Amino acid sequence: MAEPLLVLDGVVKRYDDHTAVHKIDLEIAAGEFIALMGPSGCGKTTTLRMIAGLEAPSEGEIRLRGRRMNDVAPWERDTPLVWQSLALFPFMSVLKNVEFGLKMRNIPAAERTKKAMPWLERVGIAKYRDRKVDQLSGGERQRVALARALVTEPEILLLDEPLSALDAHLVIRMQAELKQLQQQLGITFCYVTHSQSEAFAMADRVAIMAEGRLQQVGPPREVYRAPANRFVAEFVGANNLLSGKVKSIAQGIVMVETAAGIMRARENPLLALLPSDMVTVVVSADRAVVSDSAADGENSLSGTVIGEQFVGAFVTLHLDLGDGRTFRAQLQQHALEPLGQVRGKRLSLRWKPEHTVLLKDK
Amino acid sequence: MKADRIISLAFKAYIWLALLFVFAPILTSFVFSFDANKFAAIPWGGFSTKWYAEAFADPEIAKSLRNTVIVALSSSILATLIGFTAAYTDYRYDFFGKRVYLALAFIPPTIPVIILGVAMLVLLGRIGLSGQLHSVIIAHVVYSLPFAMALIRLRLSQMNKDLEAAAWNLGASQWRALKEIIIPFCLPAIFSALFLTKAVSFDEYAIAWFVSGFNETLPVRILILLQREVSPKVNAIGSLVFIVSMTLVMLAQIVFLMREPGSGKGKRI
Amino acid sequence: MNQTDRANRRSSLFAWALALPMPIWQTLFFVAALLFLVVMSFWSVQNFRVTPDFTFDNWIKIYSAGYFRVTYVRTVLYALLAATLASLIAFPCAYGLAFKASPLMRRIVVASLIMPYFTSYLVRANSWKILLTDQGVINSVLGTVGLGPLPMTSNLFAVMIGYLTLILPIVILLQYFSLANVDRRLIEAAHNLRCGRVRTVFQVIIPSARTGLILAATFAFILSFGDFVSPSFLGNNKPPTLTVLMVDAVKSGSQWPRAAVVALTMVATLLLVAFLAMNFAYGEKRKRP
Repeated sequence: MAEPLLVLDGVVKRYDDHTAVHKIDLEIAAGEFIALMGPSGCGKTTTLRMIAGLEAPSEGEIRLRGRRMNDVAPWERDTPLVWQSLALFPFMSVLKNVEFGLKMRNIPAAERTKKAMPWLERVGIAKYRDRKVDQLSGGERQRVALARALVTEPEILLLDEPLSALDAHLVIRMQAELKQLQQQLGITFCYVTHSQSEAFAMADRVAIMAEGRLQQVGPPREVYRAPANRFVAEFVGANNLLSGKVKSIAQGIVMVETAAGIMRARENPLLALLPSDMVTVVVSADRAVVSDSAADGENSLSGTVIGEQFVGAFVTLHLDLGDGRTFRAQLQQHALEPLGQVRGKRLSLRWKPEHTVLLKDK
Repeated sequence: MKADRIISLAFKAYIWLALLFVFAPILTSFVFSFDANKFAAIPWGGFSTKWYAEAFADPEIAKSLRNTVIVALSSSILATLIGFTAAYTDYRYDFFGKRVYLALAFIPPTIPVIILGVAMLVLLGRIGLSGQLHSVIIAHVVYSLPFAMALIRLRLSQMNKDLEAAAWNLGASQWRALKEIIIPFCLPAIFSALFLTKAVSFDEYAIAWFVSGFNETLPVRILILLQREVSPKVNAIGSLVFIVSMTLVMLAQIVFLMREPGSGKGKRI
Repeated sequence: MNQTDRANRRSSLFAWALALPMPIWQTLFFVAALLFLVVMSFWSVQNFRVTPDFTFDNWIKIYSAGYFRVTYVRTVLYALLAATLASLIAFPCAYGLAFKASPLMRRIVVASLIMPYFTSYLVRANSWKILLTDQGVINSVLGTVGLGPLPMTSNLFAVMIGYLTLILPIVILLQYFSLANVDRRLIEAAHNLRCGRVRTVFQVIIPSARTGLILAATFAFILSFGDFVSPSFLGNNKPPTLTVLMVDAVKSGSQWPRAAVVALTMVATLLLVAFLAMNFAYGEKRKRP
């Protein structure tokens, strides 16, 4: 089989005083929407800049369509980037900004305009073609940046937190538009973000990074439901983590002893757990069922409600487990109504073994 | 509070008094450039423009003015060009010995011009470059280049750092990005630098005095006139020089303030 | 690999082409000039011609001459006096600008203080002569009220007026910039702690702005120390300063090597002063936690 569009093969980036990226292996297929996600300083932007040639890898190889790119100058690549700061040229009109990449390829002026205009129309800014960029709103500038990067019809588009400067309501709309654009064009989008919602809303696959290392790569659903390690479990979604020790394994069910009682989980053969292994029990906040009856035995806890957060139709309850730890449970508002006023009330939580994820501690 | 108002008024009065001291000589030369008397004194000898007429009729002054214009034009263009390359280097690169690099640019203006003049005379005389207009040009570039460099460097620090990389990312080579992005962005500062270095060269007397030989510039001509005789012509020339310099400085200011709106803040919404 | 080499060579050509013009120019025409001044100070003058040599004659002659030593001390004292006067006169001005003036007044005054540097210093010095001579404007006015004439040229007073003309605007500006950067909350905190107006100035504002104030005084010293116009035109060359000696040695004799000795002595003095001032300005700060 042919090599994927873009391959990062053992890529390391070291600076004088620290290592920003530790040995990353990642394959990106043609036409996929991949999100590089992680907290700030995790190396995701450095990785993107290496793909664009703005930083040179210290070790390893970056291949585009099988060609080694390490030493290709940024201006000799075809990896346009949509910048977090947008980096629009302030002294040029919208049209001149979009035509810039074509001009650098020495395409005659008339043809440049002919090629650029459809892109301006496509992203809906054709009527601003002669305006200076600082006369545009944030969303409109965003579109200029997008058109400027796409006008040379690249196979891959790099995006570095392009929506971070937009208002919340615009972000949702742009996410939908970006996803739609990517599907229509059928090209690869490599999207760097620190926002989980942004990554999960658009990406076919997400690659989660922390401290310069890849933590987990997979479709959003898989990363969400089966976090590979503690970091991912804490970073993604609203998960509850409990430390414990394996007590027994029988008939595909692992019994774990925790400070809050015995927890049961489906056995994952890949973990190869043995009794008395230290593990972390992960329970997603939306998997716990809340009731006002007493807690009974396994996979069940009780706690006092110390906070409620309403977001749309959902509510997140914060429960104090009595030993200083809190547990988050997410449920639909209507499911909360029968319980009446919950603040300060003692409630019980219950979940199924198949919704309990175990992580082996190192 | 009443005491506060009095204190504040006293400070303001003091400030205007200091400004009076600063402007007294400028006003004096202006007023007495129109005085009919040769020896400036009170009472004023009546309004006259004869000193301006004499100054314009003086072939030595005309020649020195021409020299000054040639020197100011050439040295400002060279100083701005070299200042631009140095400012860009400082902006873009970090390298071993950068402090020495910057010191090389910024030390000359801190050395008294008289000493610079002697040093330049000694060196240029030895290598056979002294006594010519180009000796003055060379020396003025040394002295005024840091002013150009500082202005352009200031402008570069207002630029979104991603702009240049964005140009590379879109296929512009480094030279191309310099031409298409960096120079257009710095254009207001480049014009300011041209005007400022012109003004510096236009008023510089000491270095020019030592190295110009018989090719005097206007400030050197003034110096010689002052050493030789009492002449209100100096007041006339001085007033004209003041007006020309002020025009250059104002132009520099206006161009610098006319920078692209929002260019510095372009990354925010 | 081929591509690497090509790309690297091209980008290093770019970097060198931009980095080198300034150091080349400044080395050829500035560093070389200073170095050559050092070399020339060891040359000799034979039959009114400067001749390459290696002799300490110039250094010995100059340093053992009583008039040089007296002039050296005088020039340093003059520059010190000018720097002190300028700092004292400028401070209320800078303080008023920073804390009492409206933004509009600030803008006008700052612009007005920059303006003199674009006029001819020679012409301004000449104007002071018009104002200060025995028949000058000031003495004429004094005469009408039966005073004077007061001797105001060819003396220390005239030289100081000249120096102040040169340095006062820049001292006010530098002091103002450092006072404007003093944290206003510090001043409010001091008032809140019952520190009076005058005490606040000495206990809070001056220590906070110390670096800038010293920098301003240093500038004043450097400019006065190297000024030729004021001692020559307003002081009438009597008594001379180092610059007057140096110009004499160059212009009215061909004593270039001796001029070089004087020039180098001046440069060394200025470097020492700048070094001491910087230590004084920044040294204390480092000690504080």
